[in-house]
Amino acid sequence: MKKYLCLGCGFSYDEARGLPEHGIAPGTRWVEIPDDWVCPDCGTPKAGFEMVEIPYWSEARPA
Amino acid sequence: MSVRFILRAGDRGYSYLPSTGLNASYVAGHPDGVITRHSSFNFHEYQSGIPGLGVMKVFGDETFTPGGTGYNMHPHHNFIIMAFVLGGTLTHINTIAKVDELREDDYYVFAAGSGGKHSELNIGEQDLHVIYVWMLPGQLLAPLSYRRNRFDRAAGANRITCLVGDEQGALPIGQTVKVSRLLSDADRTHVYRAAKANGIYTFVVEGDVEIAEAILTRRDSLALEGEDKIEIKVRTAGTDILVVETKL
Ligand SMILES: [Zn+2]
Repeated sequence: MKKYLCLGCGFSYDEARGLPEHGIAPGTRWVEIPDDWVCPDCGTPKAGFEMVEIPYWSEARPA
Repeated sequence: MSVRFILRAGDRGYSYLPSTGLNASYVAGHPDGVITRHSSFNFHEYQSGIPGLGVMKVFGDETFTPGGTGYNMHPHHNFIIMAFVLGGTLTHINTIAKVDELREDDYYVFAAGSGGKHSELNIGEQDLHVIYVWMLPGQLLAPLSYRRNRFDRAAGANRITCLVGDEQGALPIGQTVKVSRLLSDADRTHVYRAAKANGIYTFVVEGDVEIAEAILTRRDSLALEGEDKIEIKVRTAGTDILVVETKL
């Protein structure tokens, strides 16, 4: 499961979480998202996203 | 030492953003208002040049005409957005209830984290000159934060001053990134010490310098890697440079 970041605004897409509020179910792979999909916040095309390996802040906090 | 790239001022991406037409909802200001932006790296869909360096994704050299020109309120996540004001007055408004005014030598660090909006405006009577730098964060969806600081040009003359990073007096951003500024007289050589694993981006705001046997003049920039000691030879008085150090 990978994460992708919009280079136009920083919006993040996480394959594990999906975007249920935008009709994308959790577990949806990035390759399964249509090429004409755009960032819900800024309209940047899918191709303007970059894969990132950055942990969530909430995961990085000491328990 | 290896030079990753040299980017001449005129080879940067260029955007001309009038406040009318397609940009009407994006760019604020009266009908003659315009933002010009010279981008060192890819920005949005506008250019296809260098994709950044390390965690730095945007280095935009921008001018806003007076009379309310700027970016209307718009959302961000995750990116750490920094503004370094070179001249004029920047009004920054964000969704943690902050309305701030920044002048020459002031700078801010706005970490968009879990989501926030901001607006950047020139409500002054002169052009606003500002450099925007965007960094990837160390962690996603961190709490939104805004901090500001000021470069002290009297104390900072002829020495490299850390503006952003884990140094006393600088604004920390919680990862291996530093932004420093050097204002120098002519005929001096300054040494910037870096971690060898990091990349170094030097941008000439004003003046001219020699770095790694390259002569850089106003708004030229150069990126280096694999070096722990960078000599900056200043050739003219009033030279002003920004140095960004980032993990690669
Ligand atoms: Zn976006």
